[in-house]
Amino acid sequence: MRNLFPSIISVSSKPAVYLGFLCMFLFVLSIHGQTKMNPQEAVALRTKVKSVAETTETISSDFTQYKHLDFLSNDIESKGTLAFKAPDLVKWEYTKPFSYAVLFKNQKLYINDEGNKSNMDLSSNQLFKQLNQLITASIRGDMFDDEAFRISYFRQDNGSLVHFMPKDKQFAEFIKAFHITFNQEGEVDEVKMIEPSGDYTHIVFSNRTQNQPLPDAVFTQ
Amino acid sequence: MPSKTQETVVNNPYFSDPSKDYVFKSNIKVFERSFGGILIIKKLGQAQHRIAFTTEMGNTLFDFSLEKDHLTVNRIIKDLDRNILINVLKKDFLALVTERITSIEKFQKGAKVLQMGFLLGKKHYYWFENGELRKIIRTGNGKEKVVFRFSGISDNIAQQIEIEHKNIQLRISLKSI
Repeated sequence: MRNLFPSIISVSSKPAVYLGFLCMFLFVLSIHGQTKMNPQEAVALRTKVKSVAETTETISSDFTQYKHLDFLSNDIESKGTLAFKAPDLVKWEYTKPFSYAVLFKNQKLYINDEGNKSNMDLSSNQLFKQLNQLITASIRGDMFDDEAFRISYFRQDNGSLVHFMPKDKQFAEFIKAFHITFNQEGEVDEVKMIEPSGDYTHIVFSNRTQNQPLPDAVFTQ
Repeated sequence: MPSKTQETVVNNPYFSDPSKDYVFKSNIKVFERSFGGILIIKKLGQAQHRIAFTTEMGNTLFDFSLEKDHLTVNRIIKDLDRNILINVLKKDFLALVTERITSIEKFQKGAKVLQMGFLLGKKHYYWFENGELRKIIRTGNGKEKVVFRFSGISDNIAQQIEIEHKNIQLRISLKSI
């Protein structure tokens, strides 16, 4: 029977699965009062976001995640914290209604699932390495890669909304689109990750602080 | 002496309320490996349930519809898309969510009741204590194959569910959130 379950085991070991899961770091939003940007406005937004990203050494933020499945009466809500330290330390931690944390550090992904700790090596996998870079870029909002995404830009009431549609087929199997909302300062406020079925995960950031010292102890498993 | 009587129906109340979203933090241990996720079960109609499994971060790994004993795969990621796995899950989920089956036998001793009925042609024993369903045991060739344990029971909700396979190293733990 052992051969029957390689697929289950692979959930914890194959990058394809984690792709979706990691991309959660990338992000979200809703669609009202939006107008398509002209090319000059789009360039201006990219420039602003890039400039913010380049000067961002640390980010810490709370987040609320809403998982929407069409057949449910209510979205599944969870809460947690995000910590980022340049160039590539990321900790994403759920605190309610369960305890679960992932940490990217030294080419490894560390998972703490309610006290059960595990890790996986990212260095041997090129795809995963690229994903890690993408995640890091996206936390700062700087994921304007026209080769990887078809990108559309919209103005809305208090900022901008950008749609990123993955071009890579393997990627698109997990995520049809990322909708990222930027505030007027060019920081990521919300991320919506839409699955091929139309179900989505919506993450709203709050209490964001930037460039405040973050002790190394934050980035331990 | 336990008494043996005929009883027409066995009742499993745990996934019977269509107004509820049943959401569980889940841990699956298979051959010494373990991974987590969120299991979501929703009753959509008479003998009709939707069952989805996502990562903590929300990515859907599989999404099934179960109507009576017919399973439809709405979505499953390639890495999990194996018939043998889907069949194991189908049998487990069917036992988990089926509300009423015909009871073939009933044994009773004080507040303890054991009823037996068939799901997919396999004998399933339902163990009740003080009127609460505590265990379902699937047997084959006279041996325990899978044991479902329900605990933290209140108002027809089981806070903890353990599904233990005896013939393969597979254990699924569910904690209501």
